[in-house]
This record gives sequence, C-alpha cells and structure tokens, in this order.
Amino acid sequence: MSKKKKAPAVRRRRRPQREMSGFAPMLVVGFAGAALYSLGSAIIMALGIAPTIVLGFTGKGEFKAERLQCVGFCNLAGVLPFMYQAKLRGWEAVVGDAINIVLMFGSAAIGYALVYVGPMVAAFVLQGLNEDRLKKIGQQRQSLVDLWSHEVLGDREEEQKQNAGKGFIR
Amino acid sequence: MSGENAPVPDSQSAFGDRYEVITATPLPEFSTRGGDAFAVKDREKSGGDIYALVHHPSIPLRNEVYKTLRGKPVANLICPVDRGLMNLLINGRKVQRLVTIFGRPTGGALMGQDGKVNPRVNANRLRQNVALSILKAITALHKRGFMHRSIMPTNVYFSTPSSDDVVIGECYSMPPGYQQPFAMESLDLALADGTARGAGDVESDYYQMGATMQALYFGEQIWRGRDRDSMLMARVNQGSFWALSGGREVPGALGSLIRGLTADEIDERWGAEEVLDWFEGVGKPKRTTMKAWSMNRPTNFKGVAVVDRRLLAHAFARDPAEAASFLKSIDFPSWVQMSFRDEILTDRLESLLNVKPDSGFGGMRSDDYKMVTRVCMFLHPTGPIHYKGHSFFLGGIPSMIAEAFSRDDRETLSAIVDLLDAKFLQTLADVAEVQGVKLGTHLADLRRVMAFAASKQLGKGMERVLYELNPILPCVSQRFGNVWIGSIIQMMRALERIAASGTTRNILLDRHLAAFCATHGVDLEREFNNLAAAQHSPAKFNSLSLNFFGLLQQRCKMEALPNLTSKLVDGLAPAVKGLKNKKRREQVQAALEKSKKGGDIAKLSSEVNMVKVQAEDAREFAQARTLVARLERERKKLLRKVQPNDPEARKIGLKGSRIIALAGFLIVAFLTFF
Repeated sequence: MSKKKKAPAVRRRRRPQREMSGFAPMLVVGFAGAALYSLGSAIIMALGIAPTIVLGFTGKGEFKAERLQCVGFCNLAGVLPFMYQAKLRGWEAVVGDAINIVLMFGSAAIGYALVYVGPMVAAFVLQGLNEDRLKKIGQQRQSLVDLWSHEVLGDREEEQKQNAGKGFIR
Repeated sequence: MSGENAPVPDSQSAFGDRYEVITATPLPEFSTRGGDAFAVKDREKSGGDIYALVHHPSIPLRNEVYKTLRGKPVANLICPVDRGLMNLLINGRKVQRLVTIFGRPTGGALMGQDGKVNPRVNANRLRQNVALSILKAITALHKRGFMHRSIMPTNVYFSTPSSDDVVIGECYSMPPGYQQPFAMESLDLALADGTARGAGDVESDYYQMGATMQALYFGEQIWRGRDRDSMLMARVNQGSFWALSGGREVPGALGSLIRGLTADEIDERWGAEEVLDWFEGVGKPKRTTMKAWSMNRPTNFKGVAVVDRRLLAHAFARDPAEAASFLKSIDFPSWVQMSFRDEILTDRLESLLNVKPDSGFGGMRSDDYKMVTRVCMFLHPTGPIHYKGHSFFLGGIPSMIAEAFSRDDRETLSAIVDLLDAKFLQTLADVAEVQGVKLGTHLADLRRVMAFAASKQLGKGMERVLYELNPILPCVSQRFGNVWIGSIIQMMRALERIAASGTTRNILLDRHLAAFCATHGVDLEREFNNLAAAQHSPAKFNSLSLNFFGLLQQRCKMEALPNLTSKLVDGLAPAVKGLKNKKRREQVQAALEKSKKGGDIAKLSSEVNMVKVQAEDAREFAQARTLVARLERERKKLLRKVQPNDPEARKIGLKGSRIIALAGFLIVAFLTFF
C-alpha cells in the first residue's frame, strides 16, 4: 500500500461582509424610479445626491451603513423639492440657480452634522441612565448585605485585615 | 473527646429496692472472674439463703445459661434467682452494676481459696456423694445444651452444714473455661489462652470433674506449684492423671474413676454412662486405640528434640518467627514424610499448608505467621489456633476480644483483625478437616463480623466486632465506667444524666458508643456514615447528632430528655451561627428555643431539620454571592464615564440620527408631493 501524503489544509479566508452591499442596487432603483417620474427629476437627483454617492463609495469604518443612511435621508430630503420643481420648470432652471445646488448639498451637510451630534447626545443620555442604574444596584447590594451580612461581598478577610490593629489606637 | 463520666442514677431500680447488697460483707468463696460476691438481704421475702454477685462490666456473661436456669433450676448447681441493675457503694465509689442473686449453699466450699480442704471431705464422701452430685449437675446442664467448664474444688460446696449433698458453683458469670488453671482444663483446651477457650465439649466437664476429685482426694491445689511448660510436658508425656497427682496413685474404685475421667484422649475419657456403671460396680474399662501423637522421628527445634506433635505445635506457637525460619529452611514434604510415616501428604494438603522455602528477602511477614498457624493446625488439629503468640479456639474469640479491650491491648486486637480473614480461616478449617477434625460452627458467626474488623469507620472496627460477638456485654466506653449500659434506652438515659451535669460534645465520636448503638440499633449504618463524614465540621456534626438522637428517642419510644435536648440545642449554636441568612438564623434560633424546653428530640429534629436548613442556606448564599458578583461587575462597568466615541454611544447616536434623518425625509417628501 502506498502512503499518500496528506495535502496541507488550506484555509479559505472569508470575505469580510460588506455593510454597503445594498447601496448600489438601491441607487439604481432610486434613479430608475425618478426617471419614470421625470427625466429632469432624475438628473436633479443624480446631481443633488452626489455627496451621498461619494460617501457611499468612499466611506470606511464602523457604522458605515448608519452614517450613509443618515446622510442619504437628509440629502434626499434636500433634493426632493427640487426634483418636483424640475418636473414643473425643467431641470435646467433648477440647476441654473446656484443657491439650489447649495441647498441640496447643504442638506447633506445637515446629515453629516447629525452623524457628529448623534453619538454626543447618546453619550449624554446613556450617562444619565447609568447613574439611575447605579443607584438601583447600590440598593440591591445593600438589601443583600442586610440579609446575608458583609460576608456575601466576600470581603470579610479584607475587612479583618483592614481592622487589624485598630484596637491599639487610643 | 470529653472525659465526662455518666453519673449513677439518683433512684434505685425496683430490683435495687428489693435486694440490699451488703458490700461490707464480701463472700470471696463465691466470687468468680466475672464478679464479686457479697451477702444480700431480700426485703420482700425472708428465708432462703442467697448471695449477690456484682458483675464486672468487661467480662461477658452467658446469658443463655441465665435464661435456662432462671426458669428451671438444675439440682446440685448454684442457680440464679433474679438479676437487675442496682446502685452500689463499692470502695467508697457509687456505681451502677448488674447484680445477680443466687441461691447460696451454706455448707462451705470443699476447698477454700487458701487450699485448705473442708474437714468433712474424705474419700468415702467423694466416692458416694461428691461424684454423684457433680454428675447430676453437669448431665442436667448438658441436656440443656450447655457445658459448665468452671468446675474447681474451690467451686464445689456442701449444700448445708449438715448435708452430704454438694452443689457446684455457678457457670453464668463468665465465659466457659475463662481463666481456668492450666491443669484443670482438658489438654486440648488448656493449650489455648485462658480467655479464649470457647464453649468446649461435654468431655471437658468430665475432665474437670475428675481433676476436682483428684485435688480433693489429695487435699491440695494440684494446679499450683508447677509452671505451665513443665506441667504441659508432664501431661503430654505421662498423661494428665499422673502429671496432676505427681506420680502418686489413687487406690481403689475412686482411683479408677479419676483415671477414667482425666484420660487425655476423648475416646478414652469416661462419660455419664461409665460413671453410672462405676457406681453400680460394673467395671467396664473403656479402651480404644490410642491416637499416636508421637512422630516417627524427633524434630530438633531450637536445640530441643521434640517427638510429640502437640508439643512441636506448641513450641512453634511460642516462637512463630523462629518456627517460620525453621519451616522455610527445611524441605517440608520430605520432613513430613520422614516424621509422619503413617500419613500421606496429599497434594491438596500440601497446597493448603503452602510452606514455601525461604526467598531470602526481608524479615518476618504476616504470611509467615499464617504459615506457622497452618502448620500448627496440621500438627495438632484438635488443639487451638495459634497465631502471633496467641492461642485460641474460634468460640473463644468473643471473650478474648472483650478481655483485650478491658486491658486496651492493641497488639492482641490487631492480631485478631489479621486473623479475621475468611480465606485464611477456611484454609485452617480445611487443614483440620483433612485430619478428620471439624473446626466448629463458629466460622459463620465470624464471617458476619469480618467486614467490620479492619474498618476505621465510626460504628465499625473492632469495637463493633466486640459488641456483635458479645451482645450481652454492656457498653464499655470510659464515659460509662460508673454505670451499666445494656441497651440503647439505658444509654440515652445515661446521656441525659451526663447532659444534666456536664457536656455531651462530640459524644458520638466515642467509638465504643457508636459501635454499641450500631449493634443494638437497627439500620443505623447510613447515619454513622454521615456522622463519620461530618466529623471535621462541628456545625454539621452537631446537626446530624441531633437527628441521630431524635431517631433513637423515637424508635425507643422514650420519655422526654430535656437536659440532653438542651445540650444538643446548645451544640447547634455553631451551626445556627454559621447560617448566613440573618432572617433564617433568627427563625431557627426561635424555633430551637421553643422546642428545647419540651425535651422531645425527635420532634425538634423534625421541626428544625438543621441539615436541610444548612444545605438550603448554603445554596441560597452561593446564589446571593453570584448575584453580588454580577452586580459588582455591572457597577464597575457603569462607573466609567460614557464618551461619544464609545461603541455603544456611537451606535445608539447614529441610529437615533438615522431615525431623525428618515423622519425629516418623510416629512419633506409628504410636504413636497401632497
């Protein structure tokens, strides 16, 4: 019997799951929907959500999806009125006014601002909640000590060590 | 272990109220190894002459003998009248003892303790009255299945000062043949230690009868004045009759009676039939073929040429180490062939004896002692078992253990532990059987206790063997030195008295007390196993003690035991203190205080099951500790200041922002299109 050499086990590396996997299809669907509504609106949309598209393709790190959605919703909220106007007045009229572009991009900036402020607010709220929980834990611990004495804390020996020599103090 | 001694009860028993033992008037002629005799007064019934025997607690009684004689006395034998526990003042010490009342012969002993013969004794009376009276007494006893085994000239009395009728002393206060002088026992039995001769046989009583009559005839203590070895040599070489008489002849019919009774071979020894024939003048000399005990060639052992195999067995038994090296140094099958030409050493016997040549390693081993024992059994199968310098019959082991305990002789006890090996004893029985001798029916009794002997566990060990083999023996714990504890009820009452005056702490760790309870109680093994397992945890041990005594009180249907209950509750203090749950501790303490006044331990242990409470407390405490640890971990985590870049804050913040953004988008979309 010939001995076959065992081939070394090959480990397959898993591809890191991409948080943004649904962004491109949604973008395509969004454009298609807008184009059905009005071609001008689709052009305005493509122009207006440029910050979101940039973020979608360049964004990195944790919570990318949340950040993108946050910026995207804000950006869309700023673009939607101009898409409506583009259907009524034509997209050239809307693009012609620079302030409109500023407003559309500004809405994306609001999204970025929310991304920045949100965790700060959350930290503030969480801190408050933690303090409430700490109070409750203190009460719970005290009730256990009342029922089981300090031994339940497992610090009898430590206490004894700390109290050692106290009797000599006059 | 606390050395608290149980006090004697304050009140006398009904038996004690009836009889008044006059301890100032000892009656040494009626004293035995088993007890001291005193004059006694019967307060209820005057008249009959009686004496009281105050029993020694360390020597087992022959209870079956008491039972048979109490209901139906035997003529010409001192029979027990009554017995009971009594408080006595002996040597200025108040003690509780078992006292037996016997009918008292008033004619005096035929031979005093000092060796003086009663002037009324003469050859004629010996021939006409003494022989017949002794014969009547022992044949009546034999009919009931008992041997007397304590017949001595000092133990035979004229029934009245004027009567020629004699009675023999009682045989119930000590084991058969207990410490009987060497010369006064038939040769096989005499070779055993004085404490371990066993029940013996009918013929051994006839031997004692003959030896007694011989001593009375010569008017001297024929068992005194010669050392054991020279007496043994004389008895083996000349026969017991000539050895005891010192070469003097007993002429006439009395001589032939004594010679017949003291014959060393059982087949030759006279029995009841021969003695009756002798009375009627029909001389039927009983002759059978002499069993040859002599070897074909002498064996030189320790510089002495021994011809008699009994003497060789005895010599081996006296020095087992030397005997082992001797046996290892010889070619055993050849030695047997040369020394016992009439016998064939079969393969089976050779394998049973298992004498192996010296392997040259180490000194004396346990197996070597056993090898010597087997060879001794081969040499003298009708004789005692010789092991590690001790000689005994299996039936004598109970009294031997009792005696070893009374002297605290650990060496003897460890030898008995070694011996209580079923395989070894069976081999000895097989060796004896090959020689045509049955070792006895005691093997079954011993098998029952073998499992306990080597155990170190509470309620087992040699203490348990002691009480199992001597069920009548009182508890010989040092705590009960002043009292007689014959039953669990008496033990509980004694403990109640100890509790009233002292402490009962760790009382169940007393091995004697535990073994006594295990023997006299039923199904207490589990309790003792638990107690033994908890002996290093006072709190748990005291809880289990409470349950144990509660169980005993319930089973014995005993009265309230307030002092013992109180002490047991006090003993629970560490257990109660050890309870972690403050609320539970207070509840248990209150329940114990409430129940302790009642004295009902069984009720107390059922109401406050400390073992269960302790287990529950420990379990809940462990749960509480786990909870505290979890809270502590959480607290530490919460104490840290929350930063916006903390993952959790970021996650929640971004999700919140996304919701706001979505809401804004939906509002704008609604406002734009609708």
